[in-house]
Amino acid sequence: MTALQVDPTMKGNQVNISIVEDHQRLKLVDSVAHLETQGLYVWFGNRMILADINLAFPENSVTALIGPSGCGKSTFIRVLNRMHEFIPGAALAGKVFYEGRDIYEQDVDPVDIRTQVGMVFQKPNPFPTMSIKDNVLSGLRLAQIPFSNPDEIVETCLKKASLWNETKDRLDASAQSLSGGQQQRLCIARALAVNPKVLLMDEPCSALDPGSTRHIEETIRDISKDMTVVIVTHNMQQALRVSDYTAFFLALDGNPGQIVEAGLTKDVFKNAKDSRTHDYVNGLFG
Amino acid sequence: MNTQTLDTSTMKPQYPWKKSRPTVVIANSLIVVIPMSVYAFFFFFTDLPGALIFIAIFLPIQIAMAVIMTIFALGKRRVGDAVLSVLSVTAFSLVLALLGSVLLSVAARGLPAMRFSFLTQNNIYISPTTELTYGGVGHALLGTLTVVAIGTVIAVPLGIASAIYITDMKGRLAGFVRFIVQAMSGVPSIVAGLFILAAFILTDFVGFSALTGGLAYAILMLPTVARTSEEVLKLVPKELRDAATALGSSRARVIMRIVLPTAKAGIITAVILGVARVVGETAPLLLTTSNTNGTNLNPFKDPVATIPVYIFQFLGSGYESSIQRAWGAAFVLMIVVAILFALTRVFSPKGKAR
Repeated sequence: MTALQVDPTMKGNQVNISIVEDHQRLKLVDSVAHLETQGLYVWFGNRMILADINLAFPENSVTALIGPSGCGKSTFIRVLNRMHEFIPGAALAGKVFYEGRDIYEQDVDPVDIRTQVGMVFQKPNPFPTMSIKDNVLSGLRLAQIPFSNPDEIVETCLKKASLWNETKDRLDASAQSLSGGQQQRLCIARALAVNPKVLLMDEPCSALDPGSTRHIEETIRDISKDMTVVIVTHNMQQALRVSDYTAFFLALDGNPGQIVEAGLTKDVFKNAKDSRTHDYVNGLFG
Repeated sequence: MNTQTLDTSTMKPQYPWKKSRPTVVIANSLIVVIPMSVYAFFFFFTDLPGALIFIAIFLPIQIAMAVIMTIFALGKRRVGDAVLSVLSVTAFSLVLALLGSVLLSVAARGLPAMRFSFLTQNNIYISPTTELTYGGVGHALLGTLTVVAIGTVIAVPLGIASAIYITDMKGRLAGFVRFIVQAMSGVPSIVAGLFILAAFILTDFVGFSALTGGLAYAILMLPTVARTSEEVLKLVPKELRDAATALGSSRARVIMRIVLPTAKAGIITAVILGVARVVGETAPLLLTTSNTNGTNLNPFKDPVATIPVYIFQFLGSGYESSIQRAWGAAFVLMIVVAILFALTRVFSPKGKAR
């Protein structure tokens, strides 16, 4: 239970999310936090973007990251699978533990981390040169993971992403022939195919219509049975619908983003300890 | 609910914005007809040269007509539009006329020499008095294709690799490499030839051959291939690279499996543009391939004929049939370039890198 215990001396407005409060959490205390950041600071150039982020993501849970634009949520999840370092000027301090190991240690292979911590982006980005089927299998091929039953993988992943019924008759069609919502579900299927243990989603529904959004939310609930999901969203209702935990990020007047409040989603939304959280989740600012 | 079905069979598409008031139609035709008749008058009834009439009389009258007619038909606000239209249509017609006259003159003088044997036979036993039915540019066409192929084989991998270095690897020297590539595009072609001559031929490393010609061509192709590839690689969305990286792909696989296939059409365009850049270059070949009348099938040894050098050789000889052969060869070269550009159009992604 080590990693779950965020430092109890943690100051100020952060809520220790390892406080055991309900039945679901009780089980988790015995397990190790799947993914956890400790004292994380992030910069672009000399500008500090995030300050002192301490968050633990329990295994097989869904955590929503909410907060106004520009408070560093997307930057934060890119830190979690080592995509942050590709942005020019990126810098970072603190620790990010994945299964008990700091992923920024020198002997960690970032490519290895990314196969286990998958990512779905804000804008659907299927590979335009590939068919639907090849898109689903692309992760396995790119990461050089051997596989023997392509058809089975394609079917399972497309079903998980609730895209199977719409595409089963045209798996060889170009991924670009799909609608935006379908493309995003294809991207989810593609991310699922490499069988990651954590899935990071950066506003996956921001460009989608309500129907596609509902599909994807169902998918998130479904995959979180055996996957840890971290989702950035601007949709409060979505956070309420899909997540077990919620962390509220806020960056005030050019200050770096910080966590104002984090905890069980129902607490954050119904009994916010901080008035800013209360105002934000109720649409009073932001 | 109304269950009556709407009968749409009588509706036809219409284009209301294409209709013009009669005054506008008349004004437009006057803008064209009046300056043209003035031009015709001066052209047929005075000794003034056509170009002078065009610049000093036709253009001012046409612009004046456009201004007057527009004020009359559409109002003052549209005068700018009218003047801009007149100027851009004029400039466009001039360019078209120039290009057309180049094509037409080459075709007119080159076609009499064209026949199948001209494309297949070489220049052995051909004297300046030999009839056009004997001999041809077969050896030079083959030579040009060989030299271009060698240049391509050398320049394309280097060019694409340097483009990848600049766009995807973003290495420490990316800015420097790009600067050098850009500077290389200013290398005069004869300097490229001189360099190969000094570095390979005068040092007895290799003699005059298709290989040395290809090396000189490679120097000239490289900047075009590298710059164009860089532009098309930049068109590959960053999101695709991110997606591949986030799936656990190594950098090499992102480039080989995602970036290059996505940019495939553009890369092919880059290669063809590189070839088109050099295919008519004469100066470097004079210094590196030399010339010969026979067909040389060995690209690594002995001088080889090429079409540009063939044209150079025959235009200088002064005999009527030789000059006709030169025009014929020029026509062949033009067709080769035309085919290459047609290929670029075929491979170009629609609306993107061309």
